[in-house]
Amino acid sequence: MKAKKRVVTSGKERPVEKPKRRPTTRTIRSALVGPKPAKGSRPGPPQVAAPAVVPPVAALGGPALVPPPAGPRARRPGELDPAAVDLRADLGRGLVLANPVLVASGTFGYGVEYADVVDIGRLGAICCKGTTLNPRLGNPPPRVTETPAGMLNSIGLQNPGVDAVLERYAPLWAGWSTPVLVNVAGESIEEYVGVVRRLEGVPGVAGIELNISCPNVGKGGLQFAIDAEAAAAVTRAVRRVTELPLIVKLSPNVADVRPIATAIAAAGADALSAINTLSGMALRPDRTGPFLGNTYGGLSGPAIKPVALRIVYEVTQVVDIPVIAIGGITGLDDVLDFLAVGAVAVQVGTAIFADPGLPVRLVDELRRQCAVDGHGSYRPLIGTALPRRPGAPSARGAEYRP
Amino acid sequence: MTMRLVDAELLESREILPGQFLQHYHAPALATAARAGQFVHVRTGDWSGLVLRRPFTINTVDRATGVLSIHFREVGRGTAWMSRLRAGEQLSMLGPLGQGFQLDPRSRHVLLVAGGLGVADVRMLADEALADGRQVVLLYGCRAASEVYPSSLLPDEVEYLVATEDGSVGHHGLVTDLVTDYEAWADQAFACGPLPMLAALARLAAGRKARLGVATLGRKRGGGRPAVIGSPAARRKAFLQVALEQHMGCAVGACLGCAVWGVAGPQRVCREGPVFAADEIDWEATVGGATGKR
Repeated sequence: MKAKKRVVTSGKERPVEKPKRRPTTRTIRSALVGPKPAKGSRPGPPQVAAPAVVPPVAALGGPALVPPPAGPRARRPGELDPAAVDLRADLGRGLVLANPVLVASGTFGYGVEYADVVDIGRLGAICCKGTTLNPRLGNPPPRVTETPAGMLNSIGLQNPGVDAVLERYAPLWAGWSTPVLVNVAGESIEEYVGVVRRLEGVPGVAGIELNISCPNVGKGGLQFAIDAEAAAAVTRAVRRVTELPLIVKLSPNVADVRPIATAIAAAGADALSAINTLSGMALRPDRTGPFLGNTYGGLSGPAIKPVALRIVYEVTQVVDIPVIAIGGITGLDDVLDFLAVGAVAVQVGTAIFADPGLPVRLVDELRRQCAVDGHGSYRPLIGTALPRRPGAPSARGAEYRP
Repeated sequence: MTMRLVDAELLESREILPGQFLQHYHAPALATAARAGQFVHVRTGDWSGLVLRRPFTINTVDRATGVLSIHFREVGRGTAWMSRLRAGEQLSMLGPLGQGFQLDPRSRHVLLVAGGLGVADVRMLADEALADGRQVVLLYGCRAASEVYPSSLLPDEVEYLVATEDGSVGHHGLVTDLVTDYEAWADQAFACGPLPMLAALARLAAGRKARLGVATLGRKRGGGRPAVIGSPAARRKAFLQVALEQHMGCAVGACLGCAVWGVAGPQRVCREGPVFAADEIDWEATVGGATGKR
């Protein structure tokens, strides 16, 4: 017994003499939080306070070295305290997210559906379900099916219309620390403008994500997203009526996304998000016809990550505005990949269905990764895989495009 | 109702019929909260290829031991993976989800109608109904004798009738043929099975009042206001409640992927359902658009 006691109190900074016996809880607590109170001091609560306050990181460049102790395991030299890593993501026009992990539109409803199992307050931002001017019933069922490493969906923009969305959810959003970006869809420029006008100035609406992968009824059903002119026109029209941060979501179903991305950026978008789903289809098990009620659906999930990576890689080289990457993110490696090709932030989508806790976990993992690498911010991870000189055009024939 | 995300440990897995498995999981948080007709959303292990969870109706619960069972047929890669699970392995479950069956406190005679694997959906309701001292009849239909749900898995008090399409056991024909014998006896009916079967039952239920002149339960002087469509009260008053199945994405109401056509617009099977009053569903559109199961 004596030997045991000696081992416990062997630390040099510890008082040689063991203080009088105290309630167990207090002993444990003081051992965790900091050094034991000085000899002779009263065993009261005061000393407990100091919960390892970490000095803020000095600006961008200088990785502030934080003294090691207080963590569960000792850090290697050069390693930082994860809590000190700056994960703030600036998407322009004053929209600064606490971290660069968002949840993608259509996979998180209006933010309330997963509230029981996800800590909403720790997400970078929430992109709500696509919202249109008038209520929409959506496409005939079935609307979703699993495909190899992915899923197809054709919801058809079912939503109660912008007025109902704002009435039901905006008051809730206004009380959240996490910004909510309203995903806006429409079939004509007037419809987009109509929705955005209603969002302007509503408390709880932090920004707009424009879904331009919708058929333009005025142009024979051609999608806005596949035509640089139409995409720029809708962006410009929306820009004129709103001061909210404006993110435009790119479609991958185009021959070359770069002219479209540059046109949208020139038209006044604050940021781009890429990519929307890839057009695809599935058959009934008995092969008597298409499986989905709408015949075609949008493919998402890990299956599309390489496509998303390629498009983000191309876009970040031709625009100066921030790009948010979307497409098949299921782990930290995917996040790091997208950052490496120049994305400033990422959206997690389909993976939430299997693993609702993933987005929040990615924030923690990214923070830890930065700390281990000795980065005071995640920004050094951005663009590491981009070529030195920007924008090698496809005319050089250096790339393969089927 | 709070949903939970838990890791459930497989205690026992049995192949009760060819290709059909009954698995018992230790999931106290879910077992205590679950009601008959609710479901769990299960994540299979092979995440790289299978990106969606699978919904399974809760087959039975034992609240004392915290055990929950599910009954499923091996139809694809996900269920194949699950059928190979060993006792002691864990599975991530999200639940309990959806609206369960609504038993009217005043109903004494409960009719359950199940087609094939649909018995998994109404199985727990038999326990709930018997616990309150009701009489329960289960009508079960399938293709042949080899697929008949074993009566040993049912409580003794349940009166169990079988119909097979090939006549190898029980009534030769469809399970819906048996319903006419019981529709006057029953206070409430609950069904799960293939959509054509449910649509046929819905037709029967719609014409029941006129045919039999049966008084609805709880009709007081003057009748009172009709309950809001889709509300628990309206579902309790409806003679027939059905549990629907649909391919699902999130199962919490976020993705709108599992919609079916209702008379009042699209209904999410995961949130408004999976149990609906039969008169809430637009059967023509629902059966017309239906396809095979996952």
